[in-house]
Amino acid sequence: MLSCRRKHNFNYIKVNDLINFIIKYSRWFIFMLYVIISCVLLFNNNPYQHHIYLTSAGTITSSIYQITSNVSSYFHLYDINEDLQRHCLNLEVENIKLKEQIRLFQEMHPNDSISYNDDTNHFDYILAHVINNSISHTHNYLTINKGSNDGIKPEMGIIDQNGVVGIVNVVGENFSRVISLLNPDLRLSCKIKGYNNFGSLVWNAEDPTIAILEELPRHTIYKQGDSIVTSGFSSVFPEGIFVGTVISEHKGHNENFFTLKVKLSADLARLSTVKVIINNMKAELDSIEYKDNNKTIKL
Amino acid sequence: MSKNGINLIILFLILIITQVIICNNICLFNVAVPIIFIYLIIRLPMTLNINYVLTISFIMGLIIDIFSNTQGMHALSCTIIAFVRKPLLKLYIPREEDITDGDVSIKSIGFASYFKYLLSIILIYCTCVFVVESFSLFNIYRLITQIISSSVISLIIILGIDRISNKQREKGL
Repeated sequence: MLSCRRKHNFNYIKVNDLINFIIKYSRWFIFMLYVIISCVLLFNNNPYQHHIYLTSAGTITSSIYQITSNVSSYFHLYDINEDLQRHCLNLEVENIKLKEQIRLFQEMHPNDSISYNDDTNHFDYILAHVINNSISHTHNYLTINKGSNDGIKPEMGIIDQNGVVGIVNVVGENFSRVISLLNPDLRLSCKIKGYNNFGSLVWNAEDPTIAILEELPRHTIYKQGDSIVTSGFSSVFPEGIFVGTVISEHKGHNENFFTLKVKLSADLARLSTVKVIINNMKAELDSIEYKDNNKTIKL
Repeated sequence: MSKNGINLIILFLILIITQVIICNNICLFNVAVPIIFIYLIIRLPMTLNINYVLTISFIMGLIIDIFSNTQGMHALSCTIIAFVRKPLLKLYIPREEDITDGDVSIKSIGFASYFKYLLSIILIYCTCVFVVESFSLFNIYRLITQIISSSVISLIIILGIDRISNKQREKGL
């Protein structure tokens, strides 16, 4: 009986000590807890797994950005207008040329009833406004004011009037977050216009107007000022969308491959209106690729 | 206490909004980003329990993270400076009786000590943020220029804010 009470007492003192210990060093426990939480967030490297409420596409954050962008969207109107005028002119010239070509072809094949397969039907475009943008971090993101209610899904491409901007990764109801081209997590399959050798374009976190085109085969021919366009190998971007122009050769790590410095055509510091590309064939493409993958695994 | 508390909450909101809307869009010479919201962590009274200081700093860092899409980077750095704040101050002021009311300002500890305290906190913060950010792409020269230039610009702006808020406080009293 006595021993039992003593034992009980002993346990009580131990628990008390533990509580005292926790209270005494509570600052360390809380400090460690917060450090662990932030590290878990920090080392969650895949940008497609970020939670919607921890990104700028969340309800409160995006509504604040919407308010500020209503004001700041007026700042670059002059430059944007200039860009649009130039783009419009180019399109007009191209339109005239194409009409001329169509007329020529019709004269050459007057009775041809087979229509050409129209590639452009695969893609639809949605207009969106950029409400938040950053270029100063190593991993940059933008926020646009269209979300799942407007039919936007992750892994859709974003372009503006000058070229490729990024890829959607987190979608909210009315807003979405986009991985900017200025983010090393984004690798874009590109080629030099006119040739079929392709490489992957990635940003090296230095100059926000320059990216690096890696893994080009050694025998690639290029000139300074050549256009770099998307290769169309992924289902995200159609083939031939302008990305930038070649500046010079860059020192690469690997002797077997070329590495080029590319000046990006889209000015990512001042974006206002962008276009989201919707690929109507994506579901079909994905299902085919999925079937293929399954087969190889079974074999 | 309650008046001081309300003042701190207002400061909290103003600093976060300014940081998110204005300062995050500034990137001087492509390297220097002013970081001003840590002024709140500097201003929190020294008498406040460290657990509260840690919690407030963590939440503040997390809010900035959410706005600027930097998963956990600012939250981590804020927690670290909240933790080293008191030991740092003790380095510059050996006698703790000097800060009886818990309010650290130019008036209570003198310009030299206050400047040193401010500079070391900002330097620690900038070092944390930019080292964490450069984990994926390491470039030592860029890292050092980023840390130094951001620290200098943040220090100048925070000294300015400090002057304004001190004037406001004197008017209030």
